[in-house]
Amino acid sequence: MRLNTLRSPDRESPKRSSQDRIRTVTGGTFEELVLDAEGPVVAEFMSYGCAHCRVMEPILQRVARLVEPDETIVRINIAVEQRLAASYAVEGTPTLVMFLDGREVSRVEGPRPDVSTVLAAVTQPFEQ
Amino acid sequence: MTPALEKARPDTPILLFNDECGVCRRIAKWVEKSASTPSGASTIVDRPIGDDPEVLLALNQDLDIWDAYETIHLLMPDGSMKVGGEACAEVLRRLPRTRWLAQSFNVEVFGFRPFQRALDVGYLVLSDVRPVFGCESCGTPSAWLKPMVWATKRWGSLVDGTRVPVRTPHFTGMRTSD
Repeated sequence: MRLNTLRSPDRESPKRSSQDRIRTVTGGTFEELVLDAEGPVVAEFMSYGCAHCRVMEPILQRVARLVEPDETIVRINIAVEQRLAASYAVEGTPTLVMFLDGREVSRVEGPRPDVSTVLAAVTQPFEQ
Repeated sequence: MTPALEKARPDTPILLFNDECGVCRRIAKWVEKSASTPSGASTIVDRPIGDDPEVLLALNQDLDIWDAYETIHLLMPDGSMKVGGEACAEVLRRLPRTRWLAQSFNVEVFGFRPFQRALDVGYLVLSDVRPVFGCESCGTPSAWLKPMVWATKRWGSLVDGTRVPVRTPHFTGMRTSD
């Protein structure tokens, strides 16, 4: 057995882009896909080098499948979109920011990586 | 694409490294320097992992960006990938100055490779402790900068009278705000 497989035996195999339910938003597309979007949008501020974001990724993919088409989940890589992260005062990753009709209604920083917690985090703010 | 990567021959392995990690950057720099041959060619080229999953998939269709940041990856010319301790062993095998040492990783005792296993463990330990030496992607300042960062935060809290928590850039506990 190879040790590097011992490290994360129960970790899901990584996503492939064809299975990706979460669209990557950049500074150029943020306004169109988040602020001008109709209905609820959840923006995940993340970075690929963040171990906690990696754990969150399959959870968020599953949640994205559960909430579509009512909600859209997008990701914003703060390593690239530093200005966007700064303008939304993102202090760390992962941070989920919930937008409704372009307005931030809630945010969750460092959610526990399980489907029920994340699902509640991304749906409850829109139920009020 | 780095100049070294542009010059690389197609039979040269590519070492992917985390450009946001101080330890990884230093190791990559050492590998780059050590991989140079007198003729000017390189036995290994290194390149930062970057932020574009599609670029990595173009290098190897099984290469996932999350995996690349998790574990060291060496892309072999035949299209295969070596990861973790196996990648470290292959790098040492390809460097002119460490080739002799790398022979030990092939030593097998009853189907068990003790030196390779020791390297695997060494890699895992280094991989886990490297944020201590500074890692931008983990939000950890370099060890020598830590006291200054701490002092700055504490000084700020004394001046404005508010207690400033030492920030954890990668959250592990949930905070909600409506």
